[in-house]
Amino acid sequence: MNRKWIFFWVSIAYLILISYGLYKVYTVEATLRVKEVPATIKPENKIAIAHTEIFGKLERPQVIFNHGKHEEAFKKEGCNTCHPEKDGQLIFDFPKTVKKKGKTAIMNAYHDGCIDCHKKQSSEKKKSGPAVCGDCHKEKDKSIAVKYPVVEFDFYYHDKHVKKLKEKIGKDDCGQCHHTYDINEEDEALALVYENGTEESCYYCHEFGQKRGPELTAITKVAEKKGLTIRKASHQQCLNCHLKYKEEYLKKGEKEACPTECIKCHTGKYRTVAELEKIVRPDRDQKDKPFIDIENSKMKGVTFDHKSHEANSKTCRSCHHETLNACDTCHSLTGKPEGNGINVANAYHHVFSEHSCAGCHNKKKEEKKCAGCHHFIPAMDVETMNPKKETCTACHSGKKDQIAMPKPLSTAGLNKDKVKKEVEIKVLEKEFEPSKFPHRDIIDKLVKVSNDSKMATYFHRNLQTLCAGCHHRSVSEAEAQKDTPPNCRNCHMTAYDRQNLNKIRLLSAYHSQCLGCHEKMNLEKGRKCTECHKAKPGDPKKIITMRNEKVVKQNTSIIINEWRPE
Amino acid sequence: MDRRNFLKIIGSGAASAATGNLLTPGRTFAKDTPTVKEFYGILVDTTRCIGCRRCEKACAEANGLPVPDISESKSADVLKTKRKTTDTEYTIINSYDTEKGKFFVPKRCMHCNQPGCAAACLVKAMKKRPSGHVTWASNCIGCRLCMVSCPFDIPKFEYSKAMPRIQKCNLCFDRFNNGGIPACVEVCPTQALMFGSRRQILEEGKRRIATNPDKYIDHIYGEFEVGGTSHLYLSAVPFEQIGFRKDLGTKPYPEYSTGFLYAVPFIFVLWPIVMLGINRATKKDGHEHQEEKHEEKGKH
Repeated sequence: MNRKWIFFWVSIAYLILISYGLYKVYTVEATLRVKEVPATIKPENKIAIAHTEIFGKLERPQVIFNHGKHEEAFKKEGCNTCHPEKDGQLIFDFPKTVKKKGKTAIMNAYHDGCIDCHKKQSSEKKKSGPAVCGDCHKEKDKSIAVKYPVVEFDFYYHDKHVKKLKEKIGKDDCGQCHHTYDINEEDEALALVYENGTEESCYYCHEFGQKRGPELTAITKVAEKKGLTIRKASHQQCLNCHLKYKEEYLKKGEKEACPTECIKCHTGKYRTVAELEKIVRPDRDQKDKPFIDIENSKMKGVTFDHKSHEANSKTCRSCHHETLNACDTCHSLTGKPEGNGINVANAYHHVFSEHSCAGCHNKKKEEKKCAGCHHFIPAMDVETMNPKKETCTACHSGKKDQIAMPKPLSTAGLNKDKVKKEVEIKVLEKEFEPSKFPHRDIIDKLVKVSNDSKMATYFHRNLQTLCAGCHHRSVSEAEAQKDTPPNCRNCHMTAYDRQNLNKIRLLSAYHSQCLGCHEKMNLEKGRKCTECHKAKPGDPKKIITMRNEKVVKQNTSIIINEWRPE
Repeated sequence: MDRRNFLKIIGSGAASAATGNLLTPGRTFAKDTPTVKEFYGILVDTTRCIGCRRCEKACAEANGLPVPDISESKSADVLKTKRKTTDTEYTIINSYDTEKGKFFVPKRCMHCNQPGCAAACLVKAMKKRPSGHVTWASNCIGCRLCMVSCPFDIPKFEYSKAMPRIQKCNLCFDRFNNGGIPACVEVCPTQALMFGSRRQILEEGKRRIATNPDKYIDHIYGEFEVGGTSHLYLSAVPFEQIGFRKDLGTKPYPEYSTGFLYAVPFIFVLWPIVMLGINRATKKDGHEHQEEKHEEKGKH
């Protein structure tokens, strides 16, 4: 009997042991599941109706609704067959009314809106749509995404509309589209007003979720309450007008005028700044060359070429992010609540802002032609230590109403003996033939790039500025004595520096500077090893300097002590 | 003492000396190893690597392996396939086409802080050195458990040799002991590799990410993966795009088995004794009573 008991307990112990072992082996962390990306199809005037924000996970597949077909079918009846009307304006919502709140009510509203009409049509023996679940909720449409490219504000169309309106009405009346909201007016019906000369962008009030000043926040709140997102507001404003005038233009034979189909506006094609350069920007009494001089500021004033900046940006919003007023109305020397506490110096010089001078110029410098050099040059803002005087005075000239455009750079005055035509680099001489660096050709190329751009011509005042692209961090006093920019090997050593592990070695300096520039400028030349390094005849040489042979013990300890961080 | 006894003593002495040396290879290296308090490692910046394969050549030279042809025309062919380290190539470079363009990724032993291979080794041939190097020694019995236990598929077995060894990067342990840096780091022309203590290279990696937030993704591969490694990687694209496993977790590999292994002696030895003790303690009532109880249980 005793033995039986021992056997019983030992077997239980084994059972626990085995189950514990199995548990340990099979509870390894699970791998991440890959998220399914829906396939995007061409929009073709179709709309995906899913409302996952209301319904969450869908019981049945989403409906791909062919809006184009319906538009065609109801050409005579008009859009109000499906869309509600308010104060003579169509509101592009569907279904017309949702009686109650909640998921079921919305679902029923959709079903009633679609199926009732389909049934009615088929009872009248007209062409009709499906009335059974599976015909709309198709399984094959389950993971399809219909994405319309966003319509971007375009001065080309703005200009066209302005001209057409002038033709029609005979005077400058921008009130057809532009309006402002008077936040102090108590009667809501009277709050929406238009005043000539106060036209601003739709986005200021109708785009939500952006950081804004106190006044505009109050206005956007009203718009948000009414549900007038930029999407809804622009559809309402554009389409109502287009529908009104479409017939008229069709009679005239202008078929393309006043488009109402989705894909006619949502083309996905955007005009570049260059294409928009010739188009006249709207006149809002802005000065061509305003003199920006902040009272009590330490810096001299800046004469700003507003006109040329207009032509070089797609919208006014690129700089005027909240109103079309001058910057100093909201951004004072010390910062005001209207300007979100950002002072005027930062408003102009913030490196990462899209709306500041410095921020936009930095973005320009990331372009292919500029990035070769500017990629290596850290951005400057008001906090930069010891900026060169010339850098500041380029803008802060203090001269009213005149912008002195410097002469284009020229290489004519270069000393041929000092500025070598070709430099031979022999660091990897052991393995390859010396690399030939076309020093003078590169200078000529950079000068050409700089002279081609108006902005670069303005800021690159002399040839030394271009030299600093490669000969960076030069010490001006030392150069003044020697009259040449420093060599790479003055600072970059060939050996690995154990005191400063991160110090760039000569080999690395050459490779990162040359290859980095070629890569940033997207040059086809000089990307392959053999273009610079011609193979040397004979057997390949050893490339490491230290073999795995025991070094004399006495030396060993010294070296180790030297480079240990303690 | 007769002749037979004498030979016996001599023979056993020699044998024990030999086995002793074989089983504790650390002793033979002990005097060379400097007393280091930090793990050393390499920071690999994949955005800087230009795929020149000089590290492969240097590695082969330093370790006495067949030196590869790294001329550009040959490299273009070699880089087409995704390679793995082999018994004659401790370090290799693979190229990956990603959403941000082409990237070259050097791959070699990660020198984990708590290596799975060292934990799996039955004879302590694979060893984590105080300086961070994971090295192999000749007392290996060829069980190849280290190959199975490595999450990065690094140790390789010389299948083609009569006396096969396990081969892998040892972070140039010899060169380190002689005050040098790994061969690959010495020859890298763009300083994509940076050698230093793990603290230093981690600091530098974090500095690079902080100063170039657009360039790098905010992750250092090897900082926490499998409990941390001495090889750290920086990347501009998510690591799964450049051939790294993201499913390894942050748990050190030896820890998956430690719980089980520690439980084994406990269950084998203590559990039966405890149960036996309880059995003895409850035996007071005599045989009949126990039998009755047992039978009652059986009826239900």
